[in-house]
Amino acid sequence: MSVKLKALLKSPWVFHLSTGSCNNCDIEILDCLTPRFDIERFGMLLASSIRHADVLLVTGSGNRKSMEIVKRLYEQMPKPGLVVAIGECAMSRGMFIHSYNCPVPIDKIIPVDVYIPGCPPKPEAIIAGVVKLIEKLNKRK
Amino acid sequence: MIYLLDPLIYLLIYGFLLTAIMGLIASWIDRKVTARVQYRVGPPLLQPLIDIIKLLGKETLIPEGASKITFLMAPIIGFSGVVLVSTILWINNIDPTKSFMGDLIVVLYLLVVPSISIIMGGFASRNPLASLGASREMKLIMGYELPFILAVLVPVIHTHSIRLGNIVSYQATNGIFIGSLSGFLAWIVVILCVQAKLALVPFDMPEAETEIVGGPLIEYSGSGLAVYRLMKNMMLFTLPFFVMILFMGGWKFEGIYSLTGLLKYIGVVAIITVIRNTNPRVRIDQAVKFFWGPMTIIAIIAVILAFLGK
Amino acid sequence: MKREEIIKGIKNKFKNDIIEVFDKSPARVYIEIKPESIVEIAQYVFKDLGARFNIASGVDLRNHMEILYHFLIEDINLLISLRVKLDKSKLEIDSLANIIEATNWIEREMWELLGITFKGHPDMRKLLLSDDWPKGVYPLRADYKEWDKKAIRDRGVK
Repeated sequence: MSVKLKALLKSPWVFHLSTGSCNNCDIEILDCLTPRFDIERFGMLLASSIRHADVLLVTGSGNRKSMEIVKRLYEQMPKPGLVVAIGECAMSRGMFIHSYNCPVPIDKIIPVDVYIPGCPPKPEAIIAGVVKLIEKLNKRK
Repeated sequence: MIYLLDPLIYLLIYGFLLTAIMGLIASWIDRKVTARVQYRVGPPLLQPLIDIIKLLGKETLIPEGASKITFLMAPIIGFSGVVLVSTILWINNIDPTKSFMGDLIVVLYLLVVPSISIIMGGFASRNPLASLGASREMKLIMGYELPFILAVLVPVIHTHSIRLGNIVSYQATNGIFIGSLSGFLAWIVVILCVQAKLALVPFDMPEAETEIVGGPLIEYSGSGLAVYRLMKNMMLFTLPFFVMILFMGGWKFEGIYSLTGLLKYIGVVAIITVIRNTNPRVRIDQAVKFFWGPMTIIAIIAVILAFLGK
Repeated sequence: MKREEIIKGIKNKFKNDIIEVFDKSPARVYIEIKPESIVEIAQYVFKDLGARFNIASGVDLRNHMEILYHFLIEDINLLISLRVKLDKSKLEIDSLANIIEATNWIEREMWELLGITFKGHPDMRKLLLSDDWPKGVYPLRADYKEWDKKAIRDRGVK
């Protein structure tokens, strides 16, 4: 596997974005950063700006207003980068599938690498999903 | 050409390589101690190095409308300032006779260059948040430079010379400056000014993480950010080294003294980390009032005591 | 003032405008009034009784549309709801935004999502919907139809 991808998997910096969620998934992501499920031992840091980020954590069903912003933020993230969709709303809009304000699911706008189901998913589920992503990338190259 | 070999060795091996390695280890100590204080496990040993390697592999995006040359040259200017400072400090530490007269003034001038490079990078980014962070950094520099220079005058007054080599040799025969009262007060002032120069809590309002989304470095990605992070890690080695040379007798590499030098260095880094972990962030007007108020008064008292010979 | 005094005072002052008073529980009372007198009665409840404006809610029912204005008197724990019934062919009512500043945004939201016109509102513009939303389509009405051709409404599994 190339040195670039190996270094990326050993120190992924995450950026958290909410596209109109009820904030439960955001609270569970914040739980992951607390000392109990410490993610700094994997090298992960919370990036302050999108230009410093490697992994984009998306929550919430995509509003019409936030879809343009999500597309612009994905283009501002320097490649190579990964996208993780957390929660039912980010995967397929969940129970808001017939809502007038959410026309398309998020993975029709930006390419998503990992889906983590749950409403909201527990921090252990989030960590298990990220570990599965790292194993999948390790096996591919 | 053989006469160029000696300064080149000093520049590349001592100034760049050794400083970079010690700086990355110091950054790891800082992160591990912070993690332990917060009751969690910290990152592994090679984490700061892997961060920089990863950043070198990402693409560099330049925002539209930013001035390209200033944007790309700013990290390199700051980095070269740190390399030159650490070269001068290492030459003085290893062989005090090889330096030149007035190198203390050159070091004080060159230590402002990394902060100015952050300001340049912030203003070249064409982003209002970056300009806000860069203007805060300017005000902070105007705040801490005054007590810093006053406190650095104390060893100069004791040794009657502005050569760093003479300061090191004087401490070898007459006892380190931190033992005297004026030296101790000046040491406290310099430690707090170093905290502000490194942009660590409680003086990290130029690069406030959540308040202004990263400050001057908001638009940097890829290799520009890698050079900035390497510059900051090397500053984390260079500034405590400067404090050690001025007040604690430098780092002698013979026998037992190399171990006590290592303990002195780790002690200074640990003090900086503990101050970082136990304090909240202050506003810019509170920081400037703090540096022009109590700190300047303590520095002036230290200078007067040094004149009186204590 | 006690609860019974307040309700008797409103009934005596606005004899012609009140259609019905419904005492639901010790904490809530629903007063149905004619649409033309909303400004007078709201001014009396807000200024003279010292109530706090809480929120306004709009409902689309089978034969008519309703707006409820909720006022809260905190000392005696009483929530007064003023109910206004509007005919679906003529959805107009006077705006309260000049008297009570807090009704400014909720009336913009009711205009945008239900299509009720507020006469005399100082600043009627869009609040919530995106810029490419077509004019005249009100999403919270009962007869709202999907207008977006590019929307995906199935989960992609058979």
